[in-house]
Amino acid sequence: MVKNDNGQLYTIEGFAAALIMVMTAYLVVNATSVYTAGDTHINDMQLEALGSDALKMMDVAPNRTDAETPLQGIIRTDNYAGFTTMLLNYTNESGSGPRHDIQFNASYTCRDSNDLTHRIQFANSRELTGGEHTVRATKWVMVYKDIPECDLGIQMDRAVLLEVLLWRD
Amino acid sequence: MARLNDDAQWIILMGFLISFSFFFLALVINQSTVVGQTTAESVIEFPKNDIRDVRDVIGNVVMRVPYPQNVTVYKDITVLSMNRKGSVVEYSNFTAANATYIQIHYNNGVTEYNENWTVL
Repeated sequence: MVKNDNGQLYTIEGFAAALIMVMTAYLVVNATSVYTAGDTHINDMQLEALGSDALKMMDVAPNRTDAETPLQGIIRTDNYAGFTTMLLNYTNESGSGPRHDIQFNASYTCRDSNDLTHRIQFANSRELTGGEHTVRATKWVMVYKDIPECDLGIQMDRAVLLEVLLWRD
Repeated sequence: MARLNDDAQWIILMGFLISFSFFFLALVINQSTVVGQTTAESVIEFPKNDIRDVRDVIGNVVMRVPYPQNVTVYKDITVLSMNRKGSVVEYSNFTAANATYIQIHYNNGVTEYNENWTVL
């Protein structure tokens, strides 16, 4: 058998050219998509989970009884200051150390007799300016109340949707 | 034409292979930055908390709120879900043989969730 090793350099050159073309095609196809940094949305996810958990804890009655939960009482009595204190206790405190710099803006919506929804600004720790990067945590709350904006004439059980926008300073 | 000098072809070939393997390693590193993003995005997009929350409130209404009022609360939940959460929520229930059966339907356009819930 005769080992014919002519043209090896040409073969290598051919491979190199093919790979360069594949690489070029790859770069061109990828150039249209923009990647953000990988951890951008992880903060949002954590903040949203934190907010949802805090609201869930606020809607649990002491000792797992059927009694009114703190959150239901807060909405029934329009206790805005109590809501601010309790939510920030759950989200913003870090032992006796520094705060987490979490700010919030809370409102709830109810339905009137014409099936229109009314948003009732509830409490906030800081005014929204529009520049904040917020996430939204929501919680259904059963409340025994005659809500003025969604008046049905009598005090009765209603379901309202509490929405909390959370952001970090 | 000068004679083609074909010395050291193996060295050149190995050089090419190594440089291209570096290129593919760089691709792997490049993709790794995207992994956290897509994971967090899919976690945010999946409405786990919404479903748990709407289940919770439906269970409360069915088990605790008596007849005429529960019609009002049913409309509260369906209308507010549509207007504020962009999700279609529907539920029905009946009681038979000491058990309450609750059917829950949830659809936000991406995720659909249906449940037959039996409360003894």
